[in-house]
Amino acid sequence: MFERLVAVVRSRWFRMVLVSLSVLSLQTTLFSEVRPFGYAVQILAIFVACAGATHDVYTGAVAGFVSGFMYDAILATPLGISALVLGVVGAGAAVMLQPFRDPTWWLRLLVIGVAAALGEVVTPLVKAVVGLDGWLEWRILGAMFVTFGAACLFAAPMISLARWTLREKVIYGSR
Amino acid sequence: MAQNKTNLRRAIVLLALASVFFITLDLSDSSSTSQIRRVFGTVFSPIENVTRVVTRPLSGAWNAFREYDDVVAENNRLQEQVALQEGAAVAAAASVRLSQELLALNGLPTLAGINSVTAQVIGETPTNFSQTVEINQGSNTGVKVGMPVLNAAGLIGKVTEVFADRSLVMLISDPDYALSVKVVTMSSRTPITLPALETQDAPTVDSVLDTKDTTTTSSSTTTTTTILGFTPSATTVPAEVVAGAKSNITVPLASQLAVRETGILEGRGRGMRPVVRFLDASTRASAIEVGAPIVSSGGSRSLAPPDVVIGVVSRVVERLGTAGPILEIDLVADLSNLSFLRVLLYQPITESGR
Repeated sequence: MFERLVAVVRSRWFRMVLVSLSVLSLQTTLFSEVRPFGYAVQILAIFVACAGATHDVYTGAVAGFVSGFMYDAILATPLGISALVLGVVGAGAAVMLQPFRDPTWWLRLLVIGVAAALGEVVTPLVKAVVGLDGWLEWRILGAMFVTFGAACLFAAPMISLARWTLREKVIYGSR
Repeated sequence: MAQNKTNLRRAIVLLALASVFFITLDLSDSSSTSQIRRVFGTVFSPIENVTRVVTRPLSGAWNAFREYDDVVAENNRLQEQVALQEGAAVAAAASVRLSQELLALNGLPTLAGINSVTAQVIGETPTNFSQTVEINQGSNTGVKVGMPVLNAAGLIGKVTEVFADRSLVMLISDPDYALSVKVVTMSSRTPITLPALETQDAPTVDSVLDTKDTTTTSSSTTTTTTILGFTPSATTVPAEVVAGAKSNITVPLASQLAVRETGILEGRGRGMRPVVRFLDASTRASAIEVGAPIVSSGGSRSLAPPDVVIGVVSRVVERLGTAGPILEIDLVADLSNLSFLRVLLYQPITESGR
């Protein structure tokens, strides 16, 4: 029982939850106040895009779902919207990099920026689908550009963080 | 390889379905989603507080870098404005007090009779797609979902999520926010002159009661106002006294009463002025003047008590056909600069039980 608990605590998904909580706290404190051109930088979306860009579609989608679910729990929007959106962002980043066997650093950075910015389009779309319309406006473009710019700026540390968070322990000699 | 793809597809579909399930659950006001939020809020709150303390110097530096010039300019402007307003504030405070006393005397609801909790804004919305702020008061101090929130200027929104020691407030500019309001219009901006009163003929209480025949008297008071939309005494000065055999009825002149139009105020997102829709189709746009005050209409199903100041009409958009005009509103509260707020401990019937 205790060993199983230790295994859970040492798993990459547990680490993922803890790191997402920290990034989420940055999102709700620092990045809700630091608003370039009046737009909030979506650091959580950038982190999820990094998780997708450095791993596979499944990892990106699950990381996005978990982070998004936590984001929903502190927002006044219906539970599940951000989970869906960030799931799409994580999976989208991984899918965009799939055709490239060994992507260059700038290509990875570009994909992370595009995937995170995509989240700013998908969010009002999903909200509109569930009946919370009024957000599909031209200012989405501004939010996309700011998120893209921020992704270019923060991608390097976030990639390292995502790699460390989601690394799998390889046990040599085991079957 | 094929097996991996099938597993991946299965996982993606499962995640999408889980999201849809939670959205459906939440939109149907399930208590389980509130429970999830409450538990998560309790776990997340200490982490957020620690991060807020750690990142405060960074956000402070950002604000100093970005807003220093604006703050200096605003400070100069405000000092000038304060000097101008000091005298007016004393007179206004006296008027408000008098008005509240009169309302209380007549058994009408006033804001003074509603308890409130003072709260401080501790966070803004972290997304670009909602207009909320976080305040440092929660269920521990009696805050409940649906309670209206004001700042010193006027209404700013309503409480949408409540945790033990903090709450989320949806701002009036959020597209999901709607509130029934009334537009207080007036017949003209010019000084209002009520009909002449011949003081020697003015009836005393006894003479009115003793009158057997119907008598008509008129009163003369010159009331001058520069406050658009308000006609002091217009509803209290008796203009026509009808004395019958059994009862005396006072009928105010309808033409001199302020016109009140009701409609629904809706937010339109950050940087956009809220609008008032669903005004009576028969309302002519010319009957509503730019600058006319907008206050909450109140009523049993309203989200706010009556006569909470919201803003003034900044533009009247007339529409063809049977559609009534749309009014664009300049809010009196500056939503971009909120610090101390007042939560009225008034829970609308529509939100009770939440």
